Amino acid sequence: MSAVVILLFRSSIAIMTPLLLAAMGGLFTELSGMLNIALEGLMLMGAFSSIVFTYATGNMLYGIVLGIVSTVLLAALLGVITLYLKSNVFITGLATNLFASGLTVVLSFKLFNNKGVVVFPELGNLPQVDIPLLRVIPGISTLLNGHHLLVYVSWILLACCAWLLYRTPFGFRLRAAGLHEETLVSLGLSPARYRFIAFLISGFTCALAGAILTLNLGAFVPNITSGKGWIALVVIFLGRKRPFGLLFAAFIFGFADAFSNYAQGAWDIPADFILTIPYVFTLIAMIMLSIYTSRKSRFE
Amino acid sequence: MVNRSDKIHTHPYMLRSAIGPLVIFSLALVSIIILSLLLSKTPGRTLHYFFLGPVQSTYYFGNMLNTAIPLIFGGLGISLAMRGGSFNLGGEGQIYAGAFVTTMSALTFSTWGIVGAIFSLILGAVIGGLLSGFSGFLRMKWNTNELITTFLVSNMVILVVNYFVAGPLKNPETNLIATKKIPESFQFSRILEPSNLSSGLYLALIAVVLVQLYLYKTKSGYELRMFGLNAMFARYGGIQAGWYQVWPMVLSGALYGLGGGMVIFGTYFATVKEFSAGMGWNGLAVALIARFQPVAVIPAALFFAYIESGARNAMLHSDVTFEIASIVQALVFFLVTSSVLQQLGTKRVRL
Repeated sequence: MSAVVILLFRSSIAIMTPLLLAAMGGLFTELSGMLNIALEGLMLMGAFSSIVFTYATGNMLYGIVLGIVSTVLLAALLGVITLYLKSNVFITGLATNLFASGLTVVLSFKLFNNKGVVVFPELGNLPQVDIPLLRVIPGISTLLNGHHLLVYVSWILLACCAWLLYRTPFGFRLRAAGLHEETLVSLGLSPARYRFIAFLISGFTCALAGAILTLNLGAFVPNITSGKGWIALVVIFLGRKRPFGLLFAAFIFGFADAFSNYAQGAWDIPADFILTIPYVFTLIAMIMLSIYTSRKSRFE
Repeated sequence: MVNRSDKIHTHPYMLRSAIGPLVIFSLALVSIIILSLLLSKTPGRTLHYFFLGPVQSTYYFGNMLNTAIPLIFGGLGISLAMRGGSFNLGGEGQIYAGAFVTTMSALTFSTWGIVGAIFSLILGAVIGGLLSGFSGFLRMKWNTNELITTFLVSNMVILVVNYFVAGPLKNPETNLIATKKIPESFQFSRILEPSNLSSGLYLALIAVVLVQLYLYKTKSGYELRMFGLNAMFARYGGIQAGWYQVWPMVLSGALYGLGGGMVIFGTYFATVKEFSAGMGWNGLAVALIARFQPVAVIPAALFFAYIESGARNAMLHSDVTFEIASIVQALVFFLVTSSVLQQLGTKRVRL
């Protein structure tokens, strides 16, 4: 029993990492006052470009770095059009998603003459990390030790993100852009600038999130993100827009996913129904959260 | 963005306000040319089929018009939701579920003739309306963000329909993953042989007129627009605020569901697995280009259908893939709400 639970928790951590990373970047845009639904497209861009660049350079680190560069460029495009051409952020977000899903397929057709799954068998896996200190505690070790590098990177980034948002002038100003942009304007600062930086940050974290998806699999599948960017958005709301809230919320979704994978093996449920579990879970969580918030606001 | 207090002061306003859309249109065309030059070994051939393919023969022209039918319904659906101040991101699921329910009902009531056909279409609209109305209800009750709930519900519904289409309700006689075909008496007649264009086109045009009349000539349409423009003002004006958080969503989903049924009766005659993928999003794009004006939905849908048919043609006759259509559509999406571009010509803007 407990072994199954620990394994479930372990795979929850593996599954939640892309969500956590994407949600972290989305937190910056969200707090700066922009509803960033482009997380999905940015992740897809990161997923495609990091595996293609890894393949081209033969080096995973270069691949990830170039993947980040391309994704940040896409985020910059999104930011420029939204903030400086004054477009509706929601529509430009949709455009980014559509653009990324079109571009990745078009490029995959152009480069590999293949619109479907492109497998890169020789790339190898993301490096795994073994922390000797953790090995002494048996349960915790199976749970936390030996994940791939980006899992730990995401935790470090989460701490950085909390520090940046709540302990630095940059963070205060970025949050001010979302809370009350007139304050920034009255200080002679430009809210658009902080929002633009927030878009770039979301491009950065989404690139990492996407890189995990493809590099772990050793293949690119069209629309490999399959709604993860949207779930990341829900993670932000469910995490009550706090960095460590994200960790909690992302874990819940990771668990829902891990559980549905487990259920698929354990029970005889059609695969299509299993695939609905993350959405059902997300929906219920959204509804509960809104009930809670509306109750709370009524009392206040 | 739903704020469309377009002030018509100057006489040549109409002409000058066309500059923005024209800029967007030309950028889309330029992007097609650049994409062909980059991606194709025979860019001339690609461009030829992209631009002229859809209008070259009756067959392709009719098919292009046929592609526009669900886009018109979707565009109208989104326009109604947006005019009422709501978002509906669940078009994909609503269209698919509407199509599926219409198919099933048509198969069940195959002996009822015209009554059965109308009943099936209504049923499809009802299911679409219920799906998005649910999100409207959540918004009214607990202020749940309908943008996200419509999307989530839609994704669930697509999977559930996939299960039925590929599983218990699959037609064992074909290799296609699809349900049984609806009886021939239910199928719309072809109006431009040999193309696929069906008489559903007339119904789409009627729907545009009806939505236009509803929005501008009825009390409910007026209240819906007022609520969309300024919910607070509408509330003080004595309008049932709760109702107008749900009703535009219901209408929106119903139009999507109806659009799904139309495609079944006109083109596919059976629910093929994921046949409607992309239609919902394209309906949204159409509504955006039309800036939520029902009448403008027609040219916007034609523009979109043209890009799609062009890409399909280029794929058939040249070496590019169909997905270049999404890139071009995305570029239109990027620019279509830009107030800087829209005010080109009407106002001096500083970047």
